Amino acid sequence: MIVVPCPNCGPRNSGDLRNCGELVPRPDPSAASLIEWREYLYMRKNPADWVTETWYCRGGCRRYFTIERNTATNEIRGQEAS
Amino acid sequence: MSIRKEHGNVSETTFNSPVDIGPLSAPDGSVTVADAASTTKVQVRGGADTGAAAELGVGYGRSQRRADGALVCGTRPDEWTIYAGAGQASAITAALSEVFGHFQGEPGEGFVTVIDITHGRAMLRISGSNATAALNKICNLDLSDELTPDGAVFSASVGNVGCDLVRDDEGGQTSFLIGCERSFGKFLFIAVADACTEFGLSVPHGWELHGH
Repeated sequence: MIVVPCPNCGPRNSGDLRNCGELVPRPDPSAASLIEWREYLYMRKNPADWVTETWYCRGGCRRYFTIERNTATNEIRGQEAS
Repeated sequence: MSIRKEHGNVSETTFNSPVDIGPLSAPDGSVTVADAASTTKVQVRGGADTGAAAELGVGYGRSQRRADGALVCGTRPDEWTIYAGAGQASAITAALSEVFGHFQGEPGEGFVTVIDITHGRAMLRISGSNATAALNKICNLDLSDELTPDGAVFSASVGNVGCDLVRDDEGGQTSFLIGCERSFGKFLFIAVADACTEFGLSVPHGWELHGH
């Protein structure tokens, strides 16, 4: 079990939330090339290290927020409401 | 600001609960499960830092009982639910619309919506000295007094159904109001009643969790 700290609801079982994956900056749709857009949609770094992720608190406040999670140890730091 | 001003309301027509069974109690009274679907439920959505939010008087995760008996709950950071006795939806929505109307057009107020959701939600009340122990079996949150004291409002899974809960003690007895989408109402009632059988509550024939 991973305990994820929601900024509104406090510590929650990760089963109450949805992991929306790595936070990837959205390029300007009117200026991005097809390759840049494809990378935004599909390409992820997926390192065994610290990753900034977006989570959705589906069982509680129904808000999105970001955290930094170490994908190797599941240690979490730096929570922030999106 | 978008506020319905009409006083006509479907909630004042005949309300049919998805649970057509009376309260179930353990013989020693340590736990009771009662249908409360006819409870008036009015949902308010608006900004958390607006005058409308200040008027409601409670933040996310807390509830407050008004002088008229209605229970105002901070259901989400920008959403409130007002619970009251059956058939009060028109009066409550009209009163809220009147109050929120004073903030109309003021800077930073944005939209406030007031919606009667009585018919869309089922609700039950579980109370008694064993209510917390029974609920802990099927709820994924710690329901201890430290984390969910009287007045706490929170959302959680109960019997794998996404529910809005309020700790609303009555006469010194632990009591929880549990609301969910109406179509899950009967299942939720059965799941909660089943969790209470360990504490002596008998489930009538046809209402067993695994009998369906």
